[in-house]
Amino acid sequence: MQFNTDASGSSLQADINITPLVDVVLVLLIIFMVVVPLLMEGYDVDIPRASADAAVQAEASQLILNIGSTDCPILRPPAEEGIPKNCQVTLAGQKIAATELPPRVAEILGGRPAEQRALFMAVDDRLNYEGVLRIIDLAKSGVENLKIEFIATN
Amino acid sequence: MRLGEPARMQAAINITPLVDVVLVLLIIFMVMAPQMRKGPDVNVPNTTKPNGQGDERGRILVSIDDAGKLWINDQSVAADHFGEALQTAAGAEQNPRVVIRADAKLNFVQVRQAMEAVEQAGFHGVGLIAKRAGAEGK
Repeated sequence: MQFNTDASGSSLQADINITPLVDVVLVLLIIFMVVVPLLMEGYDVDIPRASADAAVQAEASQLILNIGSTDCPILRPPAEEGIPKNCQVTLAGQKIAATELPPRVAEILGGRPAEQRALFMAVDDRLNYEGVLRIIDLAKSGVENLKIEFIATN
Repeated sequence: MRLGEPARMQAAINITPLVDVVLVLLIIFMVMAPQMRKGPDVNVPNTTKPNGQGDERGRILVSIDDAGKLWINDQSVAADHFGEALQTAAGAEQNPRVVIRADAKLNFVQVRQAMEAVEQAGFHGVGLIAKRAGAEGK
């Protein structure tokens, strides 16, 4: 008994069903188009404004990080990852190796509420920009929500 | 051949060319993605843990290339007109975020001057763009 009305008999479908494939590829395409312009990472920094940040500046408790070009001679982009070993910075008047920054910053600022965690940086103009960003990276790795403010060197 | 049976028409649309085109588009996008950035070629610094810099909407991209030249979005801007150009770029945007994409070879002073100019133009706070060490692209 033959139920099949098709003249060619029960026909197997030989073609692969590519509709799901097309779906997935189109979605991938859209994801790429949307995400590409958003892929940017970096650090939020501030220059304190005379008026707005006067209150913050006036606090005696502000933590100042001094980076000078004699103690931390990063004058060209560091050749390898991380910060050169000979880099010393001055944190709250104390000279320390730059690599010690995360624990020291955490020790000083860790106990403060998040909105008061600010690090004021006085950076020598001659230093290389990449080196400075790496020091910021290091300082930020000690505590969460650390605000970075650049102040003038003197 | 039975009488009355017409030559069978193919009812399904042939989507193979469509798939071809879409796959090629996908590949083009994947290859072009790193080059689609606005502005000049800038080799941004490498760091370990940069944070995300949010959405592109309402963001002004300031670039400083390795010669120290300033760019706003994709236009080169003279240093003396930088403030006005920034305000023009901001347009009606209420509180635009300025991000600075500066070359790793620059001295800190060049970036600091740009930050001061941004501050003077009335924008508070900037983002300094970096790339995660070991990551592809720029």
